Amino acid sequence: MSFEQEEKEQQPAAGPGLTRAGRVLAALAGLWKYRPRLWVVAVLALVAWVLSGIFIVAPDETGLVKRFGRYKRPAEPGPHYHFPYPIERAVKARTNKVHRLEIGFRTVAPGSSSPFQAVPEEALMLTGDEKIVDLWFVVHYRINDAQSYLFHLADPVRTIQTAAEAAMREAVGRGKIETALADGKQALQEEAAALLQERLDAYESGLKITYVLLQAVNPPAPVQHAFKEVVSAREEKNKLLHEAKGYANDLLPQAKGQAAQVEEEARAYQEERVKRAQGDAARFLALLAEYRRAGEVTRKRLYLEAMEEVLARAGRIILNPDQQAVLQLLPLEGSDLRRPGAAAEATAGGK
Amino acid sequence: MLGKNGPVVLILALLLLALYSAFFIVDQTETALVLQLGEPLGEPLGPGLHLKVPFLQRVVVCDSRLLAYETPPVEMLTADQNSLIVSAFAKWKVLDQLKYYLNVRDPAGARSRLENIVLSELRSELGRRPLIEVITASRADVLGPVVARADAAAREYGLGVTDVRIFRLNLPRENEQSVFAQMRAERQGQVRKYRAEGQEESRKIRAAAERERTVLLAEAYRKAQEIKGQGDAQAARIYAEALGQDPDFYDFVRTLELYRTTVDERTTLFLSRDDELMRLMKDSGPRPPAE
Repeated sequence: MSFEQEEKEQQPAAGPGLTRAGRVLAALAGLWKYRPRLWVVAVLALVAWVLSGIFIVAPDETGLVKRFGRYKRPAEPGPHYHFPYPIERAVKARTNKVHRLEIGFRTVAPGSSSPFQAVPEEALMLTGDEKIVDLWFVVHYRINDAQSYLFHLADPVRTIQTAAEAAMREAVGRGKIETALADGKQALQEEAAALLQERLDAYESGLKITYVLLQAVNPPAPVQHAFKEVVSAREEKNKLLHEAKGYANDLLPQAKGQAAQVEEEARAYQEERVKRAQGDAARFLALLAEYRRAGEVTRKRLYLEAMEEVLARAGRIILNPDQQAVLQLLPLEGSDLRRPGAAAEATAGGK
Repeated sequence: MLGKNGPVVLILALLLLALYSAFFIVDQTETALVLQLGEPLGEPLGPGLHLKVPFLQRVVVCDSRLLAYETPPVEMLTADQNSLIVSAFAKWKVLDQLKYYLNVRDPAGARSRLENIVLSELRSELGRRPLIEVITASRADVLGPVVARADAAAREYGLGVTDVRIFRLNLPRENEQSVFAQMRAERQGQVRKYRAEGQEESRKIRAAAERERTVLLAEAYRKAQEIKGQGDAQAARIYAEALGQDPDFYDFVRTLELYRTTVDERTTLFLSRDDELMRLMKDSGPRPPAE
């Protein structure tokens, strides 16, 4: 259609073509009489074609306008106009959005109890100590430079995917399995991100990695049970130690209590002995004082009082025994003296 | 209906067609080559609007962006005769479309050439290094030579290789299984270690606590005896001080006490008439012994 217009515009300049052009006009004029609707359609088509140049760049996008295929100018978010195809074309890239890529797994049922599906070919990786680890991670990236993204690199998503796998395998391959499973996760993420970014820059991809996030790092399925056993064995050990410490913490205060008690009892004994001694001493001294004051009388009195009691209580009293005879007849040592029959014998031997 | 204008319209239509065939657009992501009778003419063309001879010349277009070729998983041997299953990708682009068209012609051809080049360079590089190095070394070190050599080989076809990376590196199935078995065995060793440590250390803690308790109690006993001893000594001192003031009197009083407490109904006393106590009895006769 545009060539038609071009033809018509060139008419005033070309002299010899005027007759032919005139005849074309006459022909077209003739067509007008016969096909008015054709012209309406043509005009409408023309308007539609012109209007097709309107395009809108969304707030999170960047637009690029190509003229005859060659990149001409960028387009900020908002409404724009470009010359209609094939003169100009607009392509867009979502530059303000954080894109997300899953590696090692896919989210298949978000929100459910098992939302993920594993992708073992991506997830199983060799570690630096020739072991195998099962690793799920996520890459967040932005399109920093729309031009590079749209014009330099083919299939950017697959590029990031394979480059990310390569980067993570390199990072994992440098360390031991323990680092990946336990305390080295942060370092792994950073290293993989750095390696990946370096590659993407080398490819002039216009992509920027926001971060690499390890979603899950586990021992591979066939050995998971063995790994879990280690964890429970460690817990068992801690439990035993805890119990032992509890026992120790229980024992010592008890022992201290006992020790204190023993000491207390000893002190009580000491106290008692001293007090008793003091009492006895005081009693004696009081008596002694009396004795000193009225000696003989006190002595006699004490003696007679004691004898009164003793003689009254004694089982038998034998007067004037012949010491020698008694000794022969009676065994004074031992309990025989206490035999009831002994008295008769004593009397017989005594006088 | 067109009648006498017919030939005019026809010529017009032909002119339009010719114009359409004369112009062509090369996109920002492409380069194009003009072919005349199947033979390339001139240098490859960049993005923009171009002209060619209509009908006689045609245009062949190729992607000028950085493209990727991925190898299938291939088994390779390392220097220490270990097998690895490797998947790699190569980043390549068409550097010289003329050469490309003449030697390779289309992307499928390019991929097959690249497969040969990349796989052979990878194999030779990996075959130079032991397994552990392939896993742990920096990829820049291992793959740098591969890229350089692959790139040099690819130039012949008008292609350039800017990168080769290994994105999958696995052991063959049987080796994988034996690694798993080894990992399991290692873990079991750890389990035993933890259990043994648990037993030993808890025993130690208990024994230490018991030892401390024994010491504590022994110490307490020692102290207690000391205190008791002090008590005894103090008491003895007090007694000695008091009773020592008149030992004879003490002896007298204490002996009386002794008589009082030891004599009971089972005791037989022997008394002489000469005893002071009995002197009043001299005349009254003996007291009959109680039966």
